[in-house]
Amino acid sequence: MAQKTVTIIIDENGNSEVDLEGFAGNGCSKVFEDFRGSDKIKTERKKTSFYNPAQTEKQTTTGR
Amino acid sequence: MSKYGLLETQIADQKYLIAALGEMGYRVEVHPQGAALVGYEGHERQEKANIIIRRQQLDSASNDIGFTRASDGRYVARLSEYDQRIGFNQKWLNRVHQFYKEKQTIATAKAKGYVFKGREVVKTEEGERIQLRFAVR
Repeated sequence: MAQKTVTIIIDENGNSEVDLEGFAGNGCSKVFEDFRGSDKIKTERKKTSFYNPAQTEKQTTTGR
Repeated sequence: MSKYGLLETQIADQKYLIAALGEMGYRVEVHPQGAALVGYEGHERQEKANIIIRRQQLDSASNDIGFTRASDGRYVARLSEYDQRIGFNQKWLNRVHQFYKEKQTIATAKAKGYVFKGREVVKTEEGERIQLRFAVR
């Protein structure tokens, strides 16, 4: 089973990206919410893994 | 006397704000009830703040920089026009946001049981990006 990893990228504007790897379907939603906190979602993009198990999801949030 | 403007931030947790400013090299004063900001001439101003960077840590003609907790729980930055002109502007505030988000993310992730795997700073044309990696237990 693929290792589940979370990568957070924070730019100089305080915006952040949440990149989830090794998750599938709605399993990543809780993890995303853990890292989102109270940030506002700017864009959201589900990777093919959302529809095909054990791949990845990437979403962008802003702390602004 | 330089006029103060309000630049609204969405920073809501005091401890991460203090940690972020510390990461940027500032020692702050914390005043739960608020304290007056001091202008470049050494006189107290009418503006008050809860988190204060005293002017001695800034430019020789700077005023204090403050962060005031608003009624919705978020912190509002108080920056004089002079200090905004010399670099303590929105870009500077954005860096505060960046460090704040980093501190908040690491602490929150650890509290929720994620395993911190590393930090990397990536230089891009848009500036430095902080990359944090976590594993799920």
